[in-house]
Amino acid sequence: MVNRSRGRRIPAFPDPETKRARFEAAALPFSGRLYAAARRLTGSHDDAADLVQDTFLRAYRTFENFQPSTNCRAWLFTILYSIFLNERGRRRPMLLTTEQLDAVAATDKEVVAGESPWSLEVERALTRLPLAFRAAVLLVDVEDLSYEEAAAAAGCLVGTLRSRLFRGRKLLGDMLRDHAREAGFPTPTETGE
Amino acid sequence: MNHDHPFGEELQDLLDGRLAEPARAEMAAHVAQCPRCREELAVLERARAAARGLLPLAQPADLAGRIASVLDAADRTSAPGATRRRLSHRWRFVAAGLVAAAALVALLILRSAVDLPGAVARDFAGYRDGRLALQLRTGDPAALEHFFAERGVAFPTRVFDLAMMQYRLAGGRVHRLAGRASALFAYTGPDAAPLICEMYGGSLAELPRAAEQRVHDGITFHVYRVSRMTLVFWQEGAVVCVLASEGNTDEVVQLAYAKALRV
Repeated sequence: MVNRSRGRRIPAFPDPETKRARFEAAALPFSGRLYAAARRLTGSHDDAADLVQDTFLRAYRTFENFQPSTNCRAWLFTILYSIFLNERGRRRPMLLTTEQLDAVAATDKEVVAGESPWSLEVERALTRLPLAFRAAVLLVDVEDLSYEEAAAAAGCLVGTLRSRLFRGRKLLGDMLRDHAREAGFPTPTETGE
Repeated sequence: MNHDHPFGEELQDLLDGRLAEPARAEMAAHVAQCPRCREELAVLERARAAARGLLPLAQPADLAGRIASVLDAADRTSAPGATRRRLSHRWRFVAAGLVAAAALVALLILRSAVDLPGAVARDFAGYRDGRLALQLRTGDPAALEHFFAERGVAFPTRVFDLAMMQYRLAGGRVHRLAGRASALFAYTGPDAAPLICEMYGGSLAELPRAAEQRVHDGITFHVYRVSRMTLVFWQEGAVVCVLASEGNTDEVVQLAYAKALRV
């Protein structure tokens, strides 16, 4: 979106209104998904809303750097996760406290459409994962980013992302083992395999 | 690959379809005859299915407004402040001169009237060409008025039902018109012809001389023609309304009459 001529930066947009309109058309449709990811990262409604707001602000200020041919959602997640780590993660424990976990579960009862005991258990188990593993599971499995996009968002190599994803899934799967039968997940043992 | 018992990450590669042949076939064959690896794969699959099946979280009602507010703030305080910090001492004098010249030009422009018709024409072209997106798509005028109020539009908006005149409401957006907040809403007319309406706080006195003025029921309408567009401005209290379309001039004026008469 940025053209360069003889080293000079040429504005990507003819006027501020055009920039605003293009940004809103490209980015705003993802506000809900960004909020959900922020909510699951922070465990707090207020922190999640702040994080999404900061993400949109930074994205808007750097919109000239966004390549229209690339995945806008992945770009926004990259910004969100970067802000989360840099401005919040360092000040907060990597694991949520028991009180925060209870708050997540209580709030989820109000906000999750058609929630079930299983979905609440999954939400709770997810928030118990160490941050790096939780982020990998969120980016790949919940947000459906490719390994490559998720690695870029998490600021790590693809191999590292793959390892974190494996460990996150392993922990999550183990935590959900006792609830899986109730939710209709057959296990090899049960099926006699 | 460890063919006695593969590493867990290789099982994950099988699960995610990231193994190329013949490695995939070898891994699948091993898993088929190995209970331990099948159990491990089941754990990974259970976790992936659980995460993929998470239900959406409801977005807070005020989030869209908060985002709009920070974008508005960014618009107001963008480049100049950041640039000034990097300027050398020598360039500050140049910048000061440029600022003074710009202020003089701005003053002259203001005295000779702001080019609001030009700004509305650009908005119309932007919407027509798909460069100006609607933030809320709705055919319900009340829902759009509620949207404008919720997004912080400081003046009361009246979104008109022009269905009787074969113009269907398409939606709207909180916008900026020549640096001031505006409520923009759009209609689709016969043959999919677009029509936009903008409302902003201001006065007709800011407008340049109109090509034509018409008076109807005591209301003065300022009519401008820009390229193939017709723009009709009129005053409603502290708010200026404008309709813009590429339709027949008299038709646009009649739409304005229909709207203004509902005050």
